[in-house]
Amino acid sequence: MSGRLIMKLRVAEAAPAAADVMALAFVHPRRPELPAWTPGAHLDVHLPDGAVRQYSLYGDPADRGCYRIAVKREGAGRGGSQWIHDHLTEGAEIFVSAPRNHFALNPDAARHVLIAGGIGVTPLLAMARQLAAQGADFAVHFCARSRQTAPLVDALEAVCGDRLTLWLSGEGGRMDVGAVLDQAAGADLYVCGPHGLTQAVEAAAAARAWPESRYHTEHFAARLDANFRPEPFEAVIASSGARLQVPADRSLLAVLREAGFVRGSSCEIGVCGTCECGYRDGAVIHRDVVLPFEARKSRLMPCVSRAIGTLTLDL
Amino acid sequence: MTAHPPPPALPVKDSGPLKIVEAYDHPAAQAARATPGGAVNFKGTLLHIHIAQAASYEMTALDEAECVAGRGIVGDRYFLGNGTYSGRPDVREITLIEQEALDALARNDPPLQDGPITLDPADHRRNLTVRGVPLNHLVGRRFRVGEVILRGGRLNFPCKYLEQLLDLRVYLPLYNRSGLNCGIERGGIIRPGDEIELVD
Repeated sequence: MSGRLIMKLRVAEAAPAAADVMALAFVHPRRPELPAWTPGAHLDVHLPDGAVRQYSLYGDPADRGCYRIAVKREGAGRGGSQWIHDHLTEGAEIFVSAPRNHFALNPDAARHVLIAGGIGVTPLLAMARQLAAQGADFAVHFCARSRQTAPLVDALEAVCGDRLTLWLSGEGGRMDVGAVLDQAAGADLYVCGPHGLTQAVEAAAAARAWPESRYHTEHFAARLDANFRPEPFEAVIASSGARLQVPADRSLLAVLREAGFVRGSSCEIGVCGTCECGYRDGAVIHRDVVLPFEARKSRLMPCVSRAIGTLTLDL
Repeated sequence: MTAHPPPPALPVKDSGPLKIVEAYDHPAAQAARATPGGAVNFKGTLLHIHIAQAASYEMTALDEAECVAGRGIVGDRYFLGNGTYSGRPDVREITLIEQEALDALARNDPPLQDGPITLDPADHRRNLTVRGVPLNHLVGRRFRVGEVILRGGRLNFPCKYLEQLLDLRVYLPLYNRSGLNCGIERGGIIRPGDEIELVD
């Protein structure tokens, strides 16, 4: 478990940032400085019902006094953004974890090309600000339906100037993913946006044999295949030999919890990395988006990942 | 004193079931009890009380706290069974640290780190910050904090987890002075300013 402090922060600002998007600034009631972060980092917001949601920081890391996030009201979502829109007004208090970064800039990249869709702009705005300050070679492509639905577009323009290309699909300006990638050949790609956009960019990158190490993306919704059909399997606890049956309709995490193996967890959709667990052998079906490829040989995320047959856990 | 619901079953860590022991059952306390010595004529003071509702949650300062014998401080993670535990036999009902140790970190003494470290009382994650109490002498000893009687169970040991939480390299600087883990023999109410002295 990687330790991150969970702090009760106060909402210092809550203002609309686009249609259905609210920009929030959190401050600490006692501390003038919050834990440091780097562009690409996100916060976990702990909702009162115990749910946890991740939001990227879009502000300036040099501004140590506050954390800025933007939250889109997702009518079809899991209810977290709805609650935030309805309850996080100025002065409200909420538990927020210290930032963590799974989407960092590659300091060795020769050139950076950032592709954002809608609310996915938040981490890329922070990245663009740093790249501009460093005088790095970069370009930003921002896709939205219209200017009114493009969150933080004014701030992004101010940071990027003519390095920003705004693609407004409602005005006939849909991005040609292939052309953008052809232009970006050799650069590090950073992609954050709705599933349709990230999928299109991923497919275009794969078609161009884009090196995995130059392709960076952030998943706040699990990349779970709707056609996946969970099967029951057996988990063996290495230290005790206990055998636990994981039925098709339950997660390994839920079964471990019930058996008294209290494990920390947060997103429970395979994106945060909190419930990571070691295993010794077994055919694991990795369904998370957070474990690096190398780590999958010995680690798994019990919230979403499963196994075929029998799995021995390092517990 | 209010009645409290029983503690939840102890969590299990990767290394196996946890062993939370009564302070004097800890091997360190047993060895120390069999060994005479230690400061006796001190009179110290309780400076701060902090608790956290669960592991990783930032500590909150209290003006007054209820200590429950055999359990912990009401509302604290170890009282609630939500804390971080060591895999070995452990004592966690209440933990203390010396203000003098924090003062030493603040003057970079000994110079084990890049520079002075200011560890706010809310940040070291011990429950009680005390002054004038030789905590390293109190393993296997009973001492009084106001109306509450504590039993020294084992010396606290700094953990890497604290470094992660604080993003501050405090592991080595806190080595051998990160305080004392105690059991609560007699519960009661404590407040900053309470006197601390040896019972026996």
